[in-house]
Amino acid sequence: MRFHKHLRTGAAALAVVASLAGVTACGAGSRSGAQDATAVACDYTMPTADTTVNVLAYNSSAIDPFTNTMVKSCTREKVTLKHDPIDFGGQVTKTTATLAGGSGSYDILETYGFVVPGFAAKGNIEPLDDYVAKYADKYKLNALSKQMRSSMSYDGKLYGLPMQAQMYVLAYRKDVFDSLGLKPPTTFAEMIDAAKAIQAKGEIKYPIALPLNATADITTNYQAAMNSNGKDFLDSSGKPQFASDESRKALEGMKSLLPYMDPQVTTFDQPKVQQQMFNGTAAMAIMFSGRMNDLTLPANTKLADKFAFAAPPAVEGSAPYLYSRLSVDGWSIPKNTKLDKDLLFQMMAASVSEDASKASVPAAYPAREGMVSDDSSKYAAAANATIGKSMPTPGSPSAAPVTNAIRPIVVQVITGQLDIEAGMQQMQSIAEKTIAGS
Amino acid sequence: MRRREFALLMGPSLLVMLGLLVVPLVRTIQWSFQKVEYGSPGDFIGLSNYSQALSDPRLGRAVLFTLLLTVIVTATILVLGYLIATGMNGLGKLRPYILGAMLVAYVLPNIVGAVSFSWLFDQNFGGAVNYVIQALTGQNILWFTETWPNRIMVMAHTVWHLLPFSMLMILAGLQGVPKELREAAIIDGASGRKTHFYVIIPTIRGILGFVCLITIMDVLRTFDNLIPLSPQADAIGNESIMLYVFDTAFRDGSAQLGLGSAINVLAILLILVCLFPFIRGLLKEAKAKA
Repeated sequence: MRFHKHLRTGAAALAVVASLAGVTACGAGSRSGAQDATAVACDYTMPTADTTVNVLAYNSSAIDPFTNTMVKSCTREKVTLKHDPIDFGGQVTKTTATLAGGSGSYDILETYGFVVPGFAAKGNIEPLDDYVAKYADKYKLNALSKQMRSSMSYDGKLYGLPMQAQMYVLAYRKDVFDSLGLKPPTTFAEMIDAAKAIQAKGEIKYPIALPLNATADITTNYQAAMNSNGKDFLDSSGKPQFASDESRKALEGMKSLLPYMDPQVTTFDQPKVQQQMFNGTAAMAIMFSGRMNDLTLPANTKLADKFAFAAPPAVEGSAPYLYSRLSVDGWSIPKNTKLDKDLLFQMMAASVSEDASKASVPAAYPAREGMVSDDSSKYAAAANATIGKSMPTPGSPSAAPVTNAIRPIVVQVITGQLDIEAGMQQMQSIAEKTIAGS
Repeated sequence: MRRREFALLMGPSLLVMLGLLVVPLVRTIQWSFQKVEYGSPGDFIGLSNYSQALSDPRLGRAVLFTLLLTVIVTATILVLGYLIATGMNGLGKLRPYILGAMLVAYVLPNIVGAVSFSWLFDQNFGGAVNYVIQALTGQNILWFTETWPNRIMVMAHTVWHLLPFSMLMILAGLQGVPKELREAAIIDGASGRKTHFYVIIPTIRGILGFVCLITIMDVLRTFDNLIPLSPQADAIGNESIMLYVFDTAFRDGSAQLGLGSAINVLAILLILVCLFPFIRGLLKEAKAKA
């Protein structure tokens, strides 16, 4: 009996805790379409029946302005847009699932240049050229960057309406650099020299911070290093380039930075790198531009006014491009949606309209040209300087599966479990097998 | 009439079990013999998925790590659970409050608890444990990139998460031990240690078997807590079987559902082998009582 009494009390306490946890969890993520989102014109023809449009887009400070604008501006009368909060990994998994088969769960998808060729080659997403031609004037679509439209195209057709792009930007502690008479590095060698000087001062043990987490982060950085030397994972004919000199130089360059980074860097994603900068445990970091706005907010760190921004360095002085990746995000229409595709396109076009794009600055770098001037934000000049010096990469349907397949080897090479030469040969062999099997 | 009542009461449960357990199990077995992607019917490829899975050293590493984790965590939980339950059994009015506080670790979603737990070891987010260890020994332990420190952290989190439930079960068992048995042991001159080993533990062996069963099942399915606790699990040999399955079948848009299903079938067989002695023991006990 006594036990039952205690059990009841324990269960009551448990219920209270569980309810609190539930309430907290509910508050942690609500359906977006935030009240403060920008309202723009979304003039589609109202369907005759009640219509729900399901939007799949991961949450980030750079994507949210476009998603929220779309949900807020295009939901009216018989049409409801639904968008549930989701992280990037969740979006990737759900995109694969929804595109399979004759019907899917989503009607508008957030996609990005890296995956567009794969989906387009399989016929999973709708070509948008006819819609662009039809609505070019109404939504001023010709002002969308050609470079970004090209990133969202495959085989000469546009499959994603670009909304914004991210490129690598170098964030550094201006106070630390100034006190040592240092300038933002333009090569990895200069970066190492700066790191040595900062270490010698004794305040910051690991001056360099890169997101080398053993997920997509590490392969993106390896790709950025290869791009700096003018090669990508696959060439324009789809042949793997892992055994090339550029690949070797990329891996050597990345490894040369390791002594100046936290020894657990292969577990650091972009939020952790941001945290290093917030805490003052790193003096320079290279991340996607979408992460830079957080560094400028005093609510996040007492060091917010001490950060400055520059274009990232090149791997070598003679390298044709900077250590950067141009990642373009956009909207795509799944082939298997049952809704009117014309209606969906107009919703997408409205979300990248002039007003929506203006409102997304400084959190995002909109695809619409002329939105970001050097004084749009503290890092706008750095982003503008980077975008023209990032290697335009050839889109290949095999890029995504090959990148996933080689990831464990990249981790082994960077952590020293495998030497560079052996790693290059293994990656080349794995990539060839992956392409042959896909 | 009784049959009708039985059907009415059992029908919904059976339907749910059929939909959520039997159908996915049958589909998993079917897919394990196919090359299949999302939305496609799949092509029969015989035992190719099994031979691919069994020839991948990553599976061997995942099995070894999962079994190691299961053995150590189960043993730790049994010992700690018994000790804490015994202490708790002697508590008075404070018992329900301490019980409620302990259960927080169990009711927290595993991923939330794991993220918070990882921060104790992560200097970027305070790293309280690192701070104490550094103050005492001057050492900086690489909890996320070194194999054994990472294993210890994962084991500690798993014990922290599962211990409250096991302790609660054992406490229920201890409450059911007849007072007369303890008194008889004292009169016969048994020491405290002997009373535990020869009187109390044999009396609650059914509960202990059940705790073992549940713990083994839970630990063999270790998955989501490894995402924050072991971000490079594969590279340091700390990947669980379920994480390996997820990585193969789903992560980053991977669509190797056939291979993932084959690994899943192998994992189910492994779980059955591990649980066989406990299931047999419980069935025997139930039969004896009947």
